[in-house]
Amino acid sequence: MKKTIYIFNDGQLKRKGNTLYFESEEQKKYLPVEDVGELMVFGEVSLNKKFLEFASQKEIIIHYFSYYGYYMGSFYPREHLNSGHMILKQAEHYLDEEERIRIARQFVSGAARNIRQVLRYYNNRVGGISETLNRVDEVIMSLDDCHDISRLMAAEGNIRDRYYRVFDIITRNPDFPFEERSRRPPRNHLNTLISFGNSLMYTIVLSEIYRTHLDPRIGYLHATNFRRFSLNLDLAEIFKPIIVDRVIFSVLGKKMITVNDFEEEGEGIMMKDRARKTFVQELDAKLKTTIKHKGIGRPVSYRRIIRLELYKLEKHLIGEKFYEPFIAQW
Amino acid sequence: MPDNEINVGGTLIWYYYVCKREVWLMGRQITADQDDTNVILGRFFAEQSYGREKKEIAFGHMKFDVVRKDRHGLVVAEVKKSSKHIKSAKMQLAFYLWELSQKGIKARGELLFPKEKRRELVELTDELIDNLLEAKRDILRIIYDSIPPEAEKKQICRNCAYAEFCWS
Repeated sequence: MKKTIYIFNDGQLKRKGNTLYFESEEQKKYLPVEDVGELMVFGEVSLNKKFLEFASQKEIIIHYFSYYGYYMGSFYPREHLNSGHMILKQAEHYLDEEERIRIARQFVSGAARNIRQVLRYYNNRVGGISETLNRVDEVIMSLDDCHDISRLMAAEGNIRDRYYRVFDIITRNPDFPFEERSRRPPRNHLNTLISFGNSLMYTIVLSEIYRTHLDPRIGYLHATNFRRFSLNLDLAEIFKPIIVDRVIFSVLGKKMITVNDFEEEGEGIMMKDRARKTFVQELDAKLKTTIKHKGIGRPVSYRRIIRLELYKLEKHLIGEKFYEPFIAQW
Repeated sequence: MPDNEINVGGTLIWYYYVCKREVWLMGRQITADQDDTNVILGRFFAEQSYGREKKEIAFGHMKFDVVRKDRHGLVVAEVKKSSKHIKSAKMQLAFYLWELSQKGIKARGELLFPKEKRRELVELTDELIDNLLEAKRDILRIIYDSIPPEAEKKQICRNCAYAEFCWS
């Protein structure tokens, strides 16, 4: 499996012969190109066209994050997998309102049912969440009656709202109260963690989409217009609760990240590099965790599960098998 | 005319005798997982084998590994890594022989398995031609079907780069 390379230091990225080379004041590092799947750039990094050409030729995506840790954009090399048939099917399912909502509903349902799994786990462990669980169950039951995207979005918002409100019970960490969801900039520590984790999730799903015949610009829940990429946002919904949120609970529970790892910046709160590195390491470890897959018949990593999810969507689009979202078993 | 729209070439003949589902997917350019170890190795060797490249003889859309002449006439040979899919290899080569014969060139074929120190002669017979024409028709039927043939778990799925697509 190819690696995700995270770059936090400032420096220069170059092509040296047939390898990638990163040079900073502290280090000189060769990155064997066949081993690299994607680059996540947090530091001030300069690179030239020759480097981009090489990355493009080797089909390596480069994701950029701002100084504040927000996702800025990606160098998405030219498409290397083309299937006219798949693109037509993907667009056809977007344009047909009925078909679009059927897919969008599966994304919301997957997200909600994975949220439910997280809640169930913590209800068994710390209790006090059963009321929320019941309400989430009710909303899940009502999804079938949502026949337009806005109602589906509202139902999803409703679930997420209730879910976030019990984060204080789950984390049991008074330094990290949830208060309310705030973005751009996140106004407290927990919100900063959530935003950071979600941004990473979006880019990881985008990288996986690049390795399929799907077009990331055509999403179903998130409208295709006005945005460059949207299919990655759709798929990320399913994985955020079981990957990002679980990493958040784990780093807070083990006190791997504390309030000292943040600093105030204008109106928001931002993570220091040390905290970002810790988070990224934990996320990487989570993505490498394997679970047994019935169909494949051997253990597959969470990262691979994301790819399988895209394959399932492809099979839905070509009319082979109705798409059902991945639901964590615990 | 479907024959012009989809060119049923040697590779599709090869896949036809390995897995019919793969024919549909390849026919629609839904290629297999490029991160698969075998695919990466294959790509690597193809890039590195310059020596081989020079030996390849292109004829139209066909590429022959070796072409030689003996006292009975022209021989075209296809080199394969192993004889595991000998039926597929045989039909692929027979297909090339048939295409050559359509252009008025009579040739015999040879399958070479250098690792196994083994060779197999392939001669175009009426029976083979019938089978090929039948296969070609069936390939078009498969590709023009709106959905792919259902996945069947076989021995080859274990090493197939489509496995995760099929079984997800």
